[in-house]
Amino acid sequence: MIGNDLVDLQQAEKDSNWNRKGFMEKVFTGSEQFLINSASQPAQMVWLLWSMKEAAYKIHTRDTKLRSFAPTAIQCNNLVLHENTASGEILYEAERYYTQTEINSNYIHTLAAQNLEQLQQIKVFIDHYNPSNTDYRNKNPDCVSHHGRYLALVFI
Amino acid sequence: MDSATSTHASFLKNITMDKPELTSRLKAIITTYAQETDALAHLTEETDFIKDLKINSANLVDIVLDVEEEFGIEIDNDSMSRMLTVGAAIEIIEAKLAANDRE
Repeated sequence: MIGNDLVDLQQAEKDSNWNRKGFMEKVFTGSEQFLINSASQPAQMVWLLWSMKEAAYKIHTRDTKLRSFAPTAIQCNNLVLHENTASGEILYEAERYYTQTEINSNYIHTLAAQNLEQLQQIKVFIDHYNPSNTDYRNKNPDCVSHHGRYLALVFI
Repeated sequence: MDSATSTHASFLKNITMDKPELTSRLKAIITTYAQETDALAHLTEETDFIKDLKINSANLVDIVLDVEEEFGIEIDNDSMSRMLTVGAAIEIIEAKLAANDRE
């Protein structure tokens, strides 16, 4: 099973104030807050970690059929950040997920899988999102994420 | 303060925040973030923040923070993990208000 999550950075900037009092503590663990506070671009780090959590959470809920809103329990580990990509791991309820992220000035898009081999096989399709067009469903993607201006489909 | 007065005081506190008032104050918070006006107009305890109101999960954090400020309560991570529907939110707010009253 695979998961993905796209954050439109312009939309996130408009909709969310991650600087508001209490937000960080509700969403990020101590070590994640450290990564954010020491990042050269804190906002980018916020949405990078957020998309890693979301992408892994999607696999987890499809697996367990259980929904829960516990962002601090979905923990980012072993993050390696390059200029336009990042890789890392998520630990959530004793399950490990591997993540790979694309970063650019418009969006952050994370892929998650239960093993590294599967992660490398994922095919990605990103397009402009049109709410009135649901044709993408006919492509039978394994996971879908849309946010703001973008639609991201992933296939295995 | 003797025990009779204290019981009376907390009783008064409870009736100043009955369920319709609590619900309408919660609804005001939800309205800020909900994308689906239809589901918002027909809010029930089963209404799901993410599935029905299409609230994005980052804004779910804002709802939790707004609820904490509005009602003067603290929502721990365990309670937050269950806050996926209007009914669950009401239940959590009521429990936290009752706990505040006992303090």
